[in-house]
Amino acid sequence: MSVGAALFYIFVFPGLLFLLLWTFFIFYFARKTLAYVHKRVGPHFNGPGGSLQTVWDVFKLLTKESITPKSADPYLFNIIPIITPLVAALPVILIPWTPLINHGHGILDTNYGVLGLVVLIGVEPFLLFLTGFGSHNKYSFLGGMRILSQMISMEAPFFLAALSPALLFGTMNLYDIMYSNTYLTTLILLPGAVIFIITMLGILEQPPFHIPDAEQEIVYGFYTEYAGTNYVLLKFAEFTEILVVSAAAVTLFFGGFRGWGFDSFLWLFIKIVLLGILMVAIRASNPRLRLDQMLKFTWSWLTPLAILNLVWIIFAKLYILGV
Amino acid sequence: MEKLKNILNKYETEYVEDYKSNWVKAKLKNKEDLLNLIKDLKEAGVKTCSTVSPTDFIDDNKIEVNYFLENLKDKKNVWLKVDLPRELENCEIDSITPLMPSAKWHELEAYSTYGVKFKGHPNLRYFLISRDYYGKFPFRKDFDWKAHEKNLIENVNSISEEFFEEYEENEETFDKEGSRTVLNWGPTHPASGPIRLKVYVNGENIEKVDADIGYVWRALENLAERKDFIGTIVAVERICFMDNPNPMICYSQAVEEIAGKEITPFAKFMRVILGETGRIASHLISMGGFFGTMGLQTFLMWCLDVREYFLDVLEDYSGARIATACVEPGGVRYPLNDYKAWFETLNKAINEWERVKDDINDIFLKNPLMVSRAKDNGIFTKDDVEEFYLAGPIARASGFKTDVRIDEPYAGYGELEMDYVTCENGDARDRLFIIVKEVNQSIDLIKQAMKKIEEGVEAGEMNPAKDHLVRMPRRMPAGEAVTRVEWARGEMLMHLVTMDKSTSPYRLKLRAPSVNHTMVLDRLISGKTLSDIPLLYGSMHICQGDLDR
Repeated sequence: MSVGAALFYIFVFPGLLFLLLWTFFIFYFARKTLAYVHKRVGPHFNGPGGSLQTVWDVFKLLTKESITPKSADPYLFNIIPIITPLVAALPVILIPWTPLINHGHGILDTNYGVLGLVVLIGVEPFLLFLTGFGSHNKYSFLGGMRILSQMISMEAPFFLAALSPALLFGTMNLYDIMYSNTYLTTLILLPGAVIFIITMLGILEQPPFHIPDAEQEIVYGFYTEYAGTNYVLLKFAEFTEILVVSAAAVTLFFGGFRGWGFDSFLWLFIKIVLLGILMVAIRASNPRLRLDQMLKFTWSWLTPLAILNLVWIIFAKLYILGV
Repeated sequence: MEKLKNILNKYETEYVEDYKSNWVKAKLKNKEDLLNLIKDLKEAGVKTCSTVSPTDFIDDNKIEVNYFLENLKDKKNVWLKVDLPRELENCEIDSITPLMPSAKWHELEAYSTYGVKFKGHPNLRYFLISRDYYGKFPFRKDFDWKAHEKNLIENVNSISEEFFEEYEENEETFDKEGSRTVLNWGPTHPASGPIRLKVYVNGENIEKVDADIGYVWRALENLAERKDFIGTIVAVERICFMDNPNPMICYSQAVEEIAGKEITPFAKFMRVILGETGRIASHLISMGGFFGTMGLQTFLMWCLDVREYFLDVLEDYSGARIATACVEPGGVRYPLNDYKAWFETLNKAINEWERVKDDINDIFLKNPLMVSRAKDNGIFTKDDVEEFYLAGPIARASGFKTDVRIDEPYAGYGELEMDYVTCENGDARDRLFIIVKEVNQSIDLIKQAMKKIEEGVEAGEMNPAKDHLVRMPRRMPAGEAVTRVEWARGEMLMHLVTMDKSTSPYRLKLRAPSVNHTMVLDRLISGKTLSDIPLLYGSMHICQGDLDR
């Protein structure tokens, strides 16, 4: 890999610039679709259809003062918002984005791609817990504890569901998984995909699992004390994580950038946006669950189902695919 | 009625007389008899205290305490009066809270504003009023508001310092036993409104809830005493912005009763329409807010969308959407020159509700996540309703048949067909369902009232351009009246006292249901988890405006 290519990857695609553009886009997209369901207008005045509104919002937040509360731990409080987006962006190198880069492989083409993905995605919530811990605020701390309990209970079914394509195709290389996928295997993997998407909602703290940043209960949890730049960085991390996890879901279960006629980043993007629409639709129509209901749901339903799913995958591998 | 009279006649009374259709009015001679009398009344089924209202007669040097005691099952009520000396040291009476828990906060309020000490009250303290009024009893007639203001400006620092001392005490440590955190749920909280719930939590579990109220205390009862009889409607309608016409109806009825005037049939049905429109506007916010407490804003937006159409109705009539001032003593404020155009606006609003009704039912009211959270959560039984006097929708959600519109018909309700709407379980979900049912009932009532007005105009009995107002005297005779209306959140009771040839009320007691609904929060929420606070709090449909007044 030449220096020029490396710089391009880091700063343009799929690095910084791409992630920023994605943040602006998904922020705007979520607001506009949610407004449509709410019978509101949503962003309207800046740019065509209000599309520049989120850009201005982000720059407005960047110009605001970043307040560090007197009681907070200043180092922890200010360092975590810098580390969080970096960690959130790391899995980007594992995902095969487009046929134009590295002949369709991820930038880092490894045989442990699935493992790398789940581990890097799984680290993120622990950093968010530390933000709550460092804020030294009662609401933030409760939010941090809620993240931990949600993470621990969501991660088991998440890992098991992500394992199912690896088990079916006998490889952990994301490129191989993507190209081994056919219509038949997509059907076989469908239960795994459903479990993956449900746990994805939990890991991304999306409704109905937005328990850690419940505004009506604990005032946005770990976000309570953050303002200005730090808040932008945390939000940036959140949206990057949404991108990474949805891209992982598409790559693992729905054939990544492969599509009808030609293979392109466009297909990947369309599939991610479809997942985004699903997430907004769930957000618009469902209230939040209680913490204990979530725990009960994951441990007594989701985790056993994920294990059963592995059994089904092995059964399908032996008797349907006949390997 | 006779039974109640017999009980009252056993004690030394100045008089025992009938008042309206279902009240007995009596005045006790000796305040020592109060507890025994209350005991006897309780055995006879009068189990609930609606409110405690002192009146300061400075010329006679006495404070008259009014007890409004209700029998919610048989609808036979007692209005009891006791005289107390006015001097602060002797201004003392037995507390009825141990016998009737519903009087708890009303007695505290009477103590804070009038200095009536209640012997035997479980926790007599200053309440509702802000710290600078402590020990001064602002509603007494000899309270000097100007001097108080001057004192406040001079000593603002020491007053605020005391507040910060309290703020420091929020964390409790039990040394080796661990600690108990006090979470402040409010007053600057996304879901609370201007109220502070001190929530004692152990992890996610709630041990105790302590409500701290008074953040929007505007002393409306005192404000009314400084305005004339028409001007008071502006103070009265500001009890709560959500359901605006009904408090004005209640107040106007009291004035009309003292003046001895009867309003026209047209004005009666106009009051029904305006009152029900206000009720729908309030209920739509309550419904949406219920889901808002669980992090779902879609329903709130949809409800606000429909609400705009009903506010259009109020705007077309009065020119204002929220603070309408559309009802005044003697009838309704404005003539209706083109009643058909106004009815069209009404029909438009009704059609808008009919259009979204099915969607709301399918998408939100049957939502499995909502059901799993709200069903069997926070149950009130019928006994709780009587004990703490939960009013209106909350009582009806528990299956209690109570509705002032039927029990003591006012305005045009006596001539309309209506029945009690009730749910059975009394859990949080039923408190949502009852609201939806009541909106449907209100729309039915509006349709009936519209039909009555149309028939009346066709028969030549009503003239919408002229019949709206009966001329009221500028100066009132001496007298007092108690009126009740079914407000959106429950029964509203007003006690109006006037002096001879007066131009403004001598005393106006406003009794609003949210006080009792907030009082029971501790019982409702203790033992639940943090996630249940907003849900259960939202299910009580509390409005801080009428909580503090």
